[in-house]
Amino acid sequence: MAKRVSVDKTLFTVTLILVFIGLVMVFSASAVVAKERFGSPYYFVLRQFGWALAGLAAMFAAMRLDYRRYKHPAVVFSLMGITTLLLVLVFFLDRSHNTHRWIRLGVLSFQPSELAKPALILFLAYFLETRTKFMDDWRRTLIPATAPAVVMAALILMQPDLGTALACGAISAVVLFVAGMSLKYYAWALAPLPLFFYVFVVRVPWRYQRILAFIDPYSDPQGRGFHIIQSLIAVGTGGLTGLGLMEGKQKLFYLPEPHTDFIFAVTAEELGLLGATLVVVLFAIFLYRAIRAAVLTDDIFARYLATGIGAMVGVQALFNISVVLGMAPTKGIPLPFISYGGSSLFITLASVGVLLNITQHAD
Amino acid sequence: MAGDGLLKDPKWRLYLLGALLFLWCGAIGLRLVQLQIIHYGDWLQRAQRQQQRTIPVSPRRGIIYDRNGHELAMSISVDSVFAVPSEIPDPANTASLLARVLRSDPRDMVTRLKGSHSFVWIARKVDAETSQRIRGMNLRGIYFQKEPKRFYPKRELAAQTIGYVGLDDEGLGGIEHAFDARLRGTPGKMLITMDARRKWFGRVERQPDPGENVVLTIDEKIQYIVEKELEQAMHDSRAEAGMVIVQNPRTGEILALANRPTFNANIYKDAPQAALKNRAVSDIFEPGSVFKVVTYSSAVEEKLIKPEDPIDCQGGVIAVGGIRIHDLHKMGVVAIADAVAHSSDVAAVKVGMRVGEQRLYNYIRGFGFGQQTGIELPGETRGMTKPVNRWSKVSIGAISIGQEIGVTPLQLASMMSTVANDGVYTPSRIVAGVLPPRKTPQTVTFQRPQQRRVISTMTAAQMRRMLEGVVLFGTGRRAILDGYTSAGKTGTAQKIDPNTGTYSRSKYVATFAGFSPVNNPALTIVVSLDSPIGLHQGGQVSAPVFTRIAQQVLAYLNVPHDAEVKNDKRLQLRASVKDDELNEDSTDRIGGGLQAAPNAAPDPQPKSAPVIAAPSAPAKVVAAALTARSSALPSGPAPALDERLGGGTIVLDVGGGVVVPSFAGKTLRSAIEAAQDAGLEMEAVGSGVAREQSPPAGTRVANGARVSVRFSR
Repeated sequence: MAKRVSVDKTLFTVTLILVFIGLVMVFSASAVVAKERFGSPYYFVLRQFGWALAGLAAMFAAMRLDYRRYKHPAVVFSLMGITTLLLVLVFFLDRSHNTHRWIRLGVLSFQPSELAKPALILFLAYFLETRTKFMDDWRRTLIPATAPAVVMAALILMQPDLGTALACGAISAVVLFVAGMSLKYYAWALAPLPLFFYVFVVRVPWRYQRILAFIDPYSDPQGRGFHIIQSLIAVGTGGLTGLGLMEGKQKLFYLPEPHTDFIFAVTAEELGLLGATLVVVLFAIFLYRAIRAAVLTDDIFARYLATGIGAMVGVQALFNISVVLGMAPTKGIPLPFISYGGSSLFITLASVGVLLNITQHAD
Repeated sequence: MAGDGLLKDPKWRLYLLGALLFLWCGAIGLRLVQLQIIHYGDWLQRAQRQQQRTIPVSPRRGIIYDRNGHELAMSISVDSVFAVPSEIPDPANTASLLARVLRSDPRDMVTRLKGSHSFVWIARKVDAETSQRIRGMNLRGIYFQKEPKRFYPKRELAAQTIGYVGLDDEGLGGIEHAFDARLRGTPGKMLITMDARRKWFGRVERQPDPGENVVLTIDEKIQYIVEKELEQAMHDSRAEAGMVIVQNPRTGEILALANRPTFNANIYKDAPQAALKNRAVSDIFEPGSVFKVVTYSSAVEEKLIKPEDPIDCQGGVIAVGGIRIHDLHKMGVVAIADAVAHSSDVAAVKVGMRVGEQRLYNYIRGFGFGQQTGIELPGETRGMTKPVNRWSKVSIGAISIGQEIGVTPLQLASMMSTVANDGVYTPSRIVAGVLPPRKTPQTVTFQRPQQRRVISTMTAAQMRRMLEGVVLFGTGRRAILDGYTSAGKTGTAQKIDPNTGTYSRSKYVATFAGFSPVNNPALTIVVSLDSPIGLHQGGQVSAPVFTRIAQQVLAYLNVPHDAEVKNDKRLQLRASVKDDELNEDSTDRIGGGLQAAPNAAPDPQPKSAPVIAAPSAPAKVVAAALTARSSALPSGPAPALDERLGGGTIVLDVGGGVVVPSFAGKTLRSAIEAAQDAGLEMEAVGSGVAREQSPPAGTRVANGARVSVRFSR
């Protein structure tokens, strides 16, 4: 077993910078709306700050807790069980905006679907390590490995939250890929995609319209294409250096979710190409350090865990930014570390803690 | 697969994964450069287009003044409500709240609020209370805009002449319509931007130009007298409709013009069509005996008769083309003047025949019949006069006594004014001038009207004397005035029944057209009552209205008396006359009526607004100006005709400077409007609400002065 080395300071620093940028941007994007709706411009940013503190505490804790302790069925399956239970429970507890996403405990509210991602990663890492020799036996490996992911994704899809469901699928696919899953299964997985697309996208009018809007936003600039056009206008007006922090205008009247899904548009508008590129570069560094950790470790469980956590942050970040830039259809995926959203921030930070712990064992 | 070997190695799979993700990052970077650098200008433009809004600032519509500068029509600022649908968080809720206050259909409101427009009107020109209630609800995406609303402070006064405006301030009747283009003004533009803290920031792109002001020749006081007396006459005579014109015979200026039924121009939508009509210019009727003025004038002018010549009235019977007509007042051989006084049809027919068809027609045209008078009102008709080649054998007789011809009341006024004005025809006018906004004091200089001589001074004098005889001895005795001489002619014409197209046996138009004083007339007055019930002769119902109006107006104008005041003989003469002595026109008809003139249809096209040329020598006239009132009254020895007909001047002191209002606390938009309403130019500095101003509120400054206002948050 590898000797204990110091924690990956680059990864640690990048994470802190992203969290900091997130707090600043959440304040900028939400202050006016918060003042109008709740009487205080700090309403959202204070909540986010609280979650960030909690998340950082969890990160430090996880950083110090040997990741190998998770490699135990009691941990893996109780996490899976709790997650599944909460995902079912949410249908009975919450009905806001015609969706079932939240579990509320007083002032705190929590999205169980966020928990699904680390739960799946942990399960896959644990399970696939035991199947290293049988990767090509689909009955022994592929089916049991993907079954929990399919169940959870289905539950999340019913909330309905297509973005998170897709994120779960993508993370699982990445971990399976790194675990050596034969590429032919990916081909098979993609084969029914048209059917899936028809049932869950074409047949659901609002999703279909999002797709149409993505293909040609200007076919209906006041209707379906509105959000994409507004996002592009925000990014475009940023120019090289941006309008200046707090000075963005699109967040006020035009961007649909300025402090959550479209926070990158506000960032690009206010901080310009320089600020937007900085955020992208920070995520790139994060990805590089995560993959590096996965490459450097000799522990297969750690490798899969690192891959999953890196994929969780990377896939969501790149997808969110692509949506903002009109390169992908709108899906409702948050920008990790930066978007407003307590459960997402807390769980992402806790996961990074695990990743940081893994880096200490690499050499 | 060649790469399968490499892909068996998990590290290579990680490298491949990393490469894919970095490619993705690179694509994002390129996309950022494309959006933020290459197409930066496009997006900036797009952002400005949607973040800025250009709002038109309505100009203030010009004021319509009477000749003394009293406002007859003006504009006040009221609130209009509009919505920006994209800013409304809950259209259904907002719609139901608005619908409740506005008492409109909530479903219709929802459709409007859900529309994809960036701007939609919710309610235009609402009253102050409604506006307050909507403001109080503090709805997001609902905004207010000040719009000018036309206001007629004198309500029914001269309503048909002034006209009225539609919802967008477009002139729909009267002067409002005829002078719409000049009253309207040019809208300004305001650019509204919102800053990052949701504060509006406005910048005036172009100041609105207020419309020009129109000054009428109407005198509000005279108009008021006329309205009051016409109302009384309508009540007394139970007529269906009525009309009075008061004109200055020297200048052709209309001093008052009233119609019944009438309407309140502030709520014209409730008015029946009949009330909106300006009968003075749009009604065509057979004048009856009043028209004998033309017959006798032409005969005197052609030296065929003299007032003292005898004429045989043949015991009141004459046959024209086989049709016998009868005078009610049967006479034998009398002087021409007596035949006029008692309105003998027999005498008029004989005189007309002596004049002859072509000559009579020429005089009819000379007096202005069959043509527009040129008055600046929309919808003026030409009347109906058929050329001689379409006259029948009996037409000459019929036309001599005012049948078979269609005239407007204003044409009758012009005819009477021509006789009063020494035989010179003067086109009628009701607009004194158009003034540029915001200049004080203002002066309207009259153009010399295009006049023409119709009959000689001598003929006119002889006609005046004969028409005075009508008042003193004949059918017009109810028009005897106290302290003034007066002259005129009565007329009672059968009305065409609109249902049958034939002449009615029970409905008459009773007319009196006259002037006073006889030798130096200051006023021509035409009174026409349509279908009075009971007494229906012009001398019975219309002459007393003339008397009451003339008496008050002559006093108001300070016209010097030319007859003894409280002269018992004159007043007794007026009082002693019995109703049946005033009967004139029999129901006998000669030839066809108006409907027998197929090609002489009235001109249905409203004439366009005449352009009033700028006065040739504007400034110097002011000092030497006669006021309009005195221009009607040449005192002392009568000046030469040309001099008397020369351009008069109205000196109009509108306001005499304005008091600077307080702008404190106003938004840019309402400050601009307040400034405009006060007639001031505003210079805005900063944004937010008004904090400082210079000069301070309450200061008196010249119209159009510049006020500087500093805005801050």
